[in-house]
Amino acid sequence: MGRDIFEISINGVKLLLIFFMMVQAVPILVWLERRGSAFIQNRFGPNRVGPLGLLQLLADAVKFLTKEDFAPDKAVRKLFYAAPVFALIPAAIAYAAIPMSVPFTFPAFEFQGTTWGPYELKAQGYEIGVGIVFILGVASLAAYTILMAGWGSGSKFSLLGALRASAQVISYELAMGLSIVGIIMMYGTFNLTDMIQAQQGPFQFSAFGYTIASEWLPNWGIFYQPVAFVLFFSAAFAESNRLPFDLAEGEAELVAGFHTEYGGFKMLMFFIGEYGHMMIAAGLATTFFFGGYGIPWVSTQEMHQIIMGMGFSEVGAQGLNALVHFLSYNIKFAIFLWIFIHVRWTLPRFRYDQLMDLGWKTMLPWALANTVATALVIYFVSI
Amino acid sequence: MTADAFLFWFLALVTIGGGSLVILMRNPIYSALALVFTMCGVSALFVTLGAYFVAGVQLIVYAGAVMVLFVMVLMLFDLKHEIEAFAKGQISGAIKILSGGLLAGIVGGAILASTKLSSPTDAAGAAVVDPSKALGYKLFTQHIFAFEALGVLLLVIAVGAVALARSKGGTHGQR
Repeated sequence: MGRDIFEISINGVKLLLIFFMMVQAVPILVWLERRGSAFIQNRFGPNRVGPLGLLQLLADAVKFLTKEDFAPDKAVRKLFYAAPVFALIPAAIAYAAIPMSVPFTFPAFEFQGTTWGPYELKAQGYEIGVGIVFILGVASLAAYTILMAGWGSGSKFSLLGALRASAQVISYELAMGLSIVGIIMMYGTFNLTDMIQAQQGPFQFSAFGYTIASEWLPNWGIFYQPVAFVLFFSAAFAESNRLPFDLAEGEAELVAGFHTEYGGFKMLMFFIGEYGHMMIAAGLATTFFFGGYGIPWVSTQEMHQIIMGMGFSEVGAQGLNALVHFLSYNIKFAIFLWIFIHVRWTLPRFRYDQLMDLGWKTMLPWALANTVATALVIYFVSI
Repeated sequence: MTADAFLFWFLALVTIGGGSLVILMRNPIYSALALVFTMCGVSALFVTLGAYFVAGVQLIVYAGAVMVLFVMVLMLFDLKHEIEAFAKGQISGAIKILSGGLLAGIVGGAILASTKLSSPTDAAGAAVVDPSKALGYKLFTQHIFAFEALGVLLLVIAVGAVALARSKGGTHGQR
């Protein structure tokens, strides 16, 4: 938590800030999704309220908040009301564990006769040694939300949607977890910050006396583990219940799946949870395969030196360095989020048996093969 | 009270509260959901002990996968029938009293036994470089036989389940 009251309060504020960042990104993503889908389908999309239709989000929020709050007669009230709240918790906790920038060292200062600090502030909610295991563990709790909502609604459509969705989430969790085993073995750590540090500099790979090196390719995970990236990213679509894997909803068969009976703000909370899982997946894909907050061709120390050379003080340079890397992270992050949206409006939905076949008969064996191949390469290279 | 102590008592409350709700709730669904709370509490307790890897695995395996299946299966039951079957009858009442007595005995025994344990000395102060790495070495060198035996046991269970399902026709019938 922190050594003293200052660090503890800073960490608390940081946690809140990251949570609000996640929640506030959702309206922007919704706007992007609606405008993007309109762009893809040759329509206009929301463009009436405010510049580019941006104030539509505000109008939507007001609409959601002022809608009648109702529960179906047959619903199990406790679960029905608890489910939307629980939808937010795993997404928020897991997202806070992803590092977004280089740590910032807060210099020591004097206040009321005592010396405080120096503090090292990390650009993430909290750092946990086994980062990825923890994130996968917390994110896997999202299945309960779906089940609680589906069963609590007291409707057949909801229950069927929930059963489908949770079966899907559990199946793809396996493929997702196995697909990153190769990455974990390669970097030899669970810690996300260490993984990002390992991806700095230009691409270089040597085995059996040969060395493949490149001047301009960055040392990113995707060049070592392309199969893992494809598997991880496709499984991420299923984990966040997005098209082409949004069998949880399946309007054509199930009205709207597990949130058939929800309206107004409760519905919006499910939405935020879904987008939260999308953000976790985008953040993790950035971290594992695209160097996290790292900037290609420039390592974090070099960037610090460059900024120092521009005549900033040590603290100013550190702050600016953190900001630049934060931007770098967010650019990669935004590209992944856009891919999520683009895929949703490009591909049709799978049938349920196709979904299960893909998960268990295609992705799982490929993930296993990738793990074995990585293990063999690591073994032979290390001899 | 220090922050660590507060955290411990809070998590202990969540864990034990969840655990008692599991047996006090009449509706099996609530029991299962309370068990999820217990699992999360246990996982958080592992975190306070510094066993991050075990905590993560506890979340993934028990809370994230096993209990989801429990809840999923329970939701397909005719719960009214289940609740009635457990709420009435002399045999189930006798079983309840018996298991209650057994639990009280176990808890009492655990409390009596735990007072004899020595207090932890330098477990927290010991320099552990990477606990998950150490755990891996231990598992794959010292305890490799037990580890592999457990793997075989799980495989046997899976094969047995498939065999049972097939002998009764399976979901798609005999093809």
